[in-house]
Amino acid sequence: MAGSDLFTGTLDILILKALTWGPRHGYAIGRWIRDTTEDVLAVQEGALYPALHRLERRGVISEEWGETDTGRQAKYYTLTAAGRAQLRSESARWTAFSRAVTRALAVTAA
Amino acid sequence: MKHTFRLSESRPDARRDVADEIRFHLEMRAQELIEQGMSKEEAFREARRHFGDVAAIEAECRDERLARTRERGRREWWRGFAMDLRYAVRSLRTNVGFTLAGVLTLGLGIGAAAAVFTVVDGVLLRPLPYADPSHLSMVWIYSSSAQGGFEIPLSTGLYVEARDAVKGFSTMAAFRSSPFVLSGESNAEPEQIAGARTEPALFGALGVRPVLGRTFTPDEAEPGGPRVVLISYSLWQRRFGGARDVIGRMVTLSSERYSIIGVMPRGFGFPRGAELPPGLQFGTRTDVWAPLAFSEQDRRSYGTMNLSAIARLAPTVTPAAAQAELDAFATRRFKELGIPAGRLAYTIVNLEDQAGRTVRRGLLVLVGAVGFVLLIACTNVANLLIARTGAREREFAVRAALGAGRIRIVRQLVTENIVLALGGAVVGVAIAIWGSRVMLSLVPGSLPRADDVAVDARVVGFTCAVAVVAGIAFGIASALHISGRSVAATLQSGGTRLTGNARQRFGRRLIVAAEVALSVVLLVGAGLLAGSFARLQRVTPGFDPRGVLTGNVVLPVGAQFDPARDGPAWRRFFDEFTARLDALPGVVDAGAVSSLPLSGAVESGNFSIEGRPRPAVGESPNAEYSVVSGDYFAAMGIRLLSGRKFDSRDRSDGPGVVIVNRELARRHFPGTSPIGQRLRTGFDFSNGASPREIIGVVENVKQTSLDGETNPAAYVPITQMPYPSMSIVVRAKCGSGGTQCDPAANLPAMRRELARLDPALALSDARPLSSVFADSIARQRFSMAVLAVFAALALLLALVGLYGVIALSVGQRRREIGVRMALGAQPRDVLSLVLGEGMRVTLLGVAIGLAGALALTRVLRSLLFDVSTTDPRFFAGAAILVAIVSLAATYVPARRALGVDATSALRDA
Repeated sequence: MAGSDLFTGTLDILILKALTWGPRHGYAIGRWIRDTTEDVLAVQEGALYPALHRLERRGVISEEWGETDTGRQAKYYTLTAAGRAQLRSESARWTAFSRAVTRALAVTAA
Repeated sequence: MKHTFRLSESRPDARRDVADEIRFHLEMRAQELIEQGMSKEEAFREARRHFGDVAAIEAECRDERLARTRERGRREWWRGFAMDLRYAVRSLRTNVGFTLAGVLTLGLGIGAAAAVFTVVDGVLLRPLPYADPSHLSMVWIYSSSAQGGFEIPLSTGLYVEARDAVKGFSTMAAFRSSPFVLSGESNAEPEQIAGARTEPALFGALGVRPVLGRTFTPDEAEPGGPRVVLISYSLWQRRFGGARDVIGRMVTLSSERYSIIGVMPRGFGFPRGAELPPGLQFGTRTDVWAPLAFSEQDRRSYGTMNLSAIARLAPTVTPAAAQAELDAFATRRFKELGIPAGRLAYTIVNLEDQAGRTVRRGLLVLVGAVGFVLLIACTNVANLLIARTGAREREFAVRAALGAGRIRIVRQLVTENIVLALGGAVVGVAIAIWGSRVMLSLVPGSLPRADDVAVDARVVGFTCAVAVVAGIAFGIASALHISGRSVAATLQSGGTRLTGNARQRFGRRLIVAAEVALSVVLLVGAGLLAGSFARLQRVTPGFDPRGVLTGNVVLPVGAQFDPARDGPAWRRFFDEFTARLDALPGVVDAGAVSSLPLSGAVESGNFSIEGRPRPAVGESPNAEYSVVSGDYFAAMGIRLLSGRKFDSRDRSDGPGVVIVNRELARRHFPGTSPIGQRLRTGFDFSNGASPREIIGVVENVKQTSLDGETNPAAYVPITQMPYPSMSIVVRAKCGSGGTQCDPAANLPAMRRELARLDPALALSDARPLSSVFADSIARQRFSMAVLAVFAALALLLALVGLYGVIALSVGQRRREIGVRMALGAQPRDVLSLVLGEGMRVTLLGVAIGLAGALALTRVLRSLLFDVSTTDPRFFAGAAILVAIVSLAATYVPARRALGVDATSALRDA
């Protein structure tokens, strides 16, 4: 399951972000998250899949089985128009949120 | 969002989809680790460790995926439905004629059914608006005699003793009619109001609470108790503007001051006249309730039967057990009272049965009749649809060829038909609202529980349910019709002429024959009722209603009915009033009577004949009696057969006199003149036991109903038997030649004279005697009119069906007809070919219909007066009417067949 140190919805944003460069399969998405966050958000890798299925059900990403470069069958996920819109609004919210928290933590005297 | 055409979903099997995806992940991860230098086994173990609980995650994904598939399936279904709906509307719009015919036919059928359902629901099905009505029963005395038995009210003695003795009732309450005159507050006209005197327990028994104030306390129902009243919601609104401070206000009722202590809830009007036996003189709905008090003298009175009683059965007691307890009590007590065994008994009647029983049979006949109409409408539409589906076979074949599954096409057809049927339902609800109002207006005041009749959500639901069921049935029927044929065959044949093979044509004709049969049955039924009604109207009532106006005047009686004290005033009032009316220039004769014929009022009592052996107790002859004032007989046009009428000689202190009817003379003085004979009348409350001399014989008058028996009747003058409540009868003076006998012309003068005599009195229920006459047969008119409308509707629908089938057949046989004409057939031959086809269908239908009518009309027996249920004239009439109408329906397409041009028909083919 998702690691307890993940803020709610963080994984969803990261998945959406990972797909902005085009269709990717689950493993590649996981790899991208590991690489870009430098393992700070240590997630159990399996937690990715329920999140992917949930996002697919909501229609923010779509899925299609296809072949990898090495000729293996893999399920590729693609960002839909709705997903793109959601990523935009979620990023804005996230930035505002993290900025506020950072500011609060920077305060030294009450 | 645009929906693209997708051949298939990515992977329908959720389990495999998830398993493959996760296996791919683990393999890729292991591969990554191997590249970092791990051994293969170690790498796979490590990959799994990084992944977490594989089985749990797989399960979670699977659940998510299944939910998603269900969700998409549902969305897909709705999208398909919306598409079907759009398609259905478009397809119905392209064929306006067909759609209109279908919607109207269904609308008529469904509307008629819903209107009848509405009335039946209100009158018979819906629970009475009282708490737990199944436990409420009326209690009557059942009086049996040689002529048969009937239910009569209770006397105070018999009531009070039963109330105190019987344990099977949790509550028992008595009440009786007590009309009041509400005098004008703020210069409003005095108004006659339907009132009842009731025991305080009545409201508890019914389970109703006042919306304002309180009901009676036991103290208020003691003799000499305070004068308090409850008023109905509608009276509160109408006369007091719904003022909250009405409690404690004083009102003048029949010249006495009463204080208002409560307002009953909206719609409460118990007792309502039409749901209790006629003759008790309750108003259509009661507006004022006053306490009913019993004096010591009342409690010992066993002879005056004037109380109605209602009882609530104790929770665990069955009606049979309560009846048994009453019987046991009666056996014991009646012996002590000297009432001969078997003459009288207590009887209980469930309140709902009591309300519905006079009309149950008539309404059930209407339910059956409207069922026929609905059936005909549905078969008509089914026929129409089958013909249309036949014509659209090519369309469906093309759709099938393009990949639409069988189920998909059936769904499309069902959708289309449901849309059509719902259109019919909308028309149907409108017809139901209008129709049930018309039906009620045919029986003003005489249909029990008419207040409870309304088109409500349940009726609309019923209508829509009928429509949806019909739509699904039609859709499946027409789908079955086409699905038997192969796509290829349909496309090959071009699909233009294939509007039915021989078997389909036969089936369609059979359906029309069934419609004809159903309408024959309805026509015979309607004919019988109409014939019966015509006979009823021709019954001589014994009086002449033309030009006569009636109206009721009730003098204040007070809490205690006391003729000895108030009699002289009553007598003076009515004699004076009728004399003044008689003197009016527009009036020929004026009089008054205590029980106006055919108005529902009747009173009867025992008598014996002087000089003959006294009959045993309970065996003495019975007569209906009326108190009369003025020249009642002349005003009513009742003929004097022998002797003389009442005149100034018949004073209150003079010798007692009585006038009898022909029936009493025939039964008790056969072959001799009754004039001069003397009767001892048991109903006399003012004359003591002194006998009355018969001074005249008058013609028989229908008292209770036109189809009722003629009973012996006796008339006594008001001078010798004062009575406070009389119906005034005024015969208008007619111009030469019997014209200008407008009875209503005398109404203003009548009101003026009444106001001059006593401004606190009200004239109520003023109407021409002819409408009293007409109202007395309103129920029969209702059954007849409604059944006649249904029969006409059925005939019209059958006619349309027949026309449709023959017209279609002519269209199909264009080529055949063309060939025949090319081969030398004369127009006459073509005409007889088509007419013959129509007539064969009709005659089959008529034959089945007559047989059906013979079997079914017996249910009408109790509704008919003086007409046999198998009267051949009505059967023949219905058959001939249907034959003529069918001939007309066939003739139009037959003429069209004549117009077929042989060469063009052959070429087109």
